[in-house]
Amino acid sequence: MAKGPLVLPAFLVLAAAAMAVLLLVALSTRLSPLPYSQVQPEGYKLRRWWFVILSLGLVAIFAVTLPWFPYPPLRAAAHATKNGTLYVKVIAQQYAFTTPSVLPLDRRIVFEVTSLDVNHGFGIYDPRGQIVAQVQAMPDYINHLPVTFTRAGHYTVRCLEYCGIGHASMQGGFDVR
Amino acid sequence: MTAARRVLWTYLLTGIAVFTLMMLLGIAMRAEQARWVAFGPQIFYAMLTLHGAGMITSVALCGMGGLWYLMRQEGELSAGAALVAYALVVLGVVAVLLSVFPGGFAAGWTFLYPLPFVGATWPSWATGTFLIGIMLVSLGWTAWCFQMLAFTLTRYGGWAGASGWNLVFKRDAEPHEAPPPQSIAAFVVAVDGVLTGMAGMTIGVALIAHWLSPSVLVDPLWAKNVTFFFGHAFANLTIYMALGWVYVGMARYTGREYHTTKILAIAWWATLVFVAIAYFHHLYMDFVQYRPLQYVGEIASYLSAIPATAVSVWGSMLLVYRSRMRWTLGSIFLFTGLVGWVVGGIGALLDASIPLNFDLHNTLWVPAHFHTYLLGGVFLFALGLIYMQLEERSGRCSPPLLRWIIGLTTFGGMTVFLLGFYVAGANGVPRRYAIEPSPGPLTASWATVGALLLLLGLIVVLIEAIRLARLPAQDPA
Repeated sequence: MAKGPLVLPAFLVLAAAAMAVLLLVALSTRLSPLPYSQVQPEGYKLRRWWFVILSLGLVAIFAVTLPWFPYPPLRAAAHATKNGTLYVKVIAQQYAFTTPSVLPLDRRIVFEVTSLDVNHGFGIYDPRGQIVAQVQAMPDYINHLPVTFTRAGHYTVRCLEYCGIGHASMQGGFDVR
Repeated sequence: MTAARRVLWTYLLTGIAVFTLMMLLGIAMRAEQARWVAFGPQIFYAMLTLHGAGMITSVALCGMGGLWYLMRQEGELSAGAALVAYALVVLGVVAVLLSVFPGGFAAGWTFLYPLPFVGATWPSWATGTFLIGIMLVSLGWTAWCFQMLAFTLTRYGGWAGASGWNLVFKRDAEPHEAPPPQSIAAFVVAVDGVLTGMAGMTIGVALIAHWLSPSVLVDPLWAKNVTFFFGHAFANLTIYMALGWVYVGMARYTGREYHTTKILAIAWWATLVFVAIAYFHHLYMDFVQYRPLQYVGEIASYLSAIPATAVSVWGSMLLVYRSRMRWTLGSIFLFTGLVGWVVGGIGALLDASIPLNFDLHNTLWVPAHFHTYLLGGVFLFALGLIYMQLEERSGRCSPPLLRWIIGLTTFGGMTVFLLGFYVAGANGVPRRYAIEPSPGPLTASWATVGALLLLLGLIVVLIEAIRLARLPAQDPA
């Protein structure tokens, strides 16, 4: 599922909260001043809580989101014939992608992505125009990108790594059915 | 004017001049993406290359001058050495400029191997000149870092003193005193900076070798790692340099004192490590990268928020809270710079989450967050430093109405400009596209309007700065 549209509201809420805190601190200078010796100990106590909450929160987010990391199992190629996975070669070259024109719906596909010249990005956009998967296309290396398409239609491929002055026009695509 | 002030203003004015030129290029590019003008891809990508390389160098120059000046208050520091470093950086900027205009070099500031050499639409000399320019910038930067490192080590009693180790572990450091917060910042920036500069020169030498003899091959994954280590850490350190004078400025404007504590020293050690290893997040989508490094990239990116918020931002908030803060343009810029740093940091943290990066990598979300903390953070910190100097020199500050006008145009324009990036990025619009898919052109239109409003505000900022600079000095020293 494309997560991009969900990120913006999350960002705006967090940014607004941070700005509100800083604004309140700025507005506090309108109140009668307090000696720093009084502010500092209280502030340091609160900071301990912030430190604990932030540290645990960030470590927890890392651990909880591990299953959503997009990386294929190590040694994926060794299992090429197992589980009905379809392995598809993708070749990027200034300024075009070579891919099959049709790919199956609801079947695990592993794209084997490489480049014949410079670094490119293999970005797959669904029929609604949302990014659903991406990986770099690198010369001398093959990146394995696992994807299962659950929506039929035409998918657009766009280059997502700057690759020269034809970068914006480097597009491809395939149908999923 | 003293030699120290001359060094400060040489760095600051050059940095601001380069920043202004790069900002104009940035507005031109957003106008092209909005389809208001059409330069064509060759000129667009040449501008993009120059904009990226020039902007980072411009804020680095401000940071180098500002932190050098603060260290000069702490002891003897050679102005000549600082000017040699400055000259090397400026020579590098000139070389980069020549490679782009008239050379036409357009491989991006990242110049990811082998792009500068494959399918190039520019002459070979432009590639060589660009690479030499990057080498010169790295060399000047490294020279400056060595000067800072040598100074802090000498002044505060070696590694244990300069890093705050003696303070944390209560070792008797006599006859050396504990370094003030800005000196801890200078020490950490210098250590990371030397590593960064050496990385910049390493990739520069490798690519120059390939340029001179194409039979010399470079591993593309290695090149990507070294390039992003150099680029990420160099850009990141511009913020940490500025924190030196944020600490000093906040204390001056609030009339409170900010000392080095054990927590502050430990936080800076953590920063030293995180700045060096967070760059792995640039390679999340290179699935062939050794897998544990991807995890290190995410964890380091996440944890870098702890010293930033719990020490630098928290410490600044405590200084301001219920204080007798003098709200002048100088203090407003310093404080709002913190806002830009924190908000940009939130955007960066979201992008550093690998499952989200899968959707955001190389979309406009990336320039969204780094413009927030470079423009809304480091650049405002630089303006804060400039105004702090001008206000202290003249003993005067700007009238309230003018502060409101500057605040509304500058921050209003900046917000609209940045939202254009965030909205497009969240909708998957790729970065570095001369012609963007929908909704890119629409968001680029808002962004251009916002940037023009911001430019208007900055013109007022400049005029007011000139007015303050022309007032007689309160203290001739």
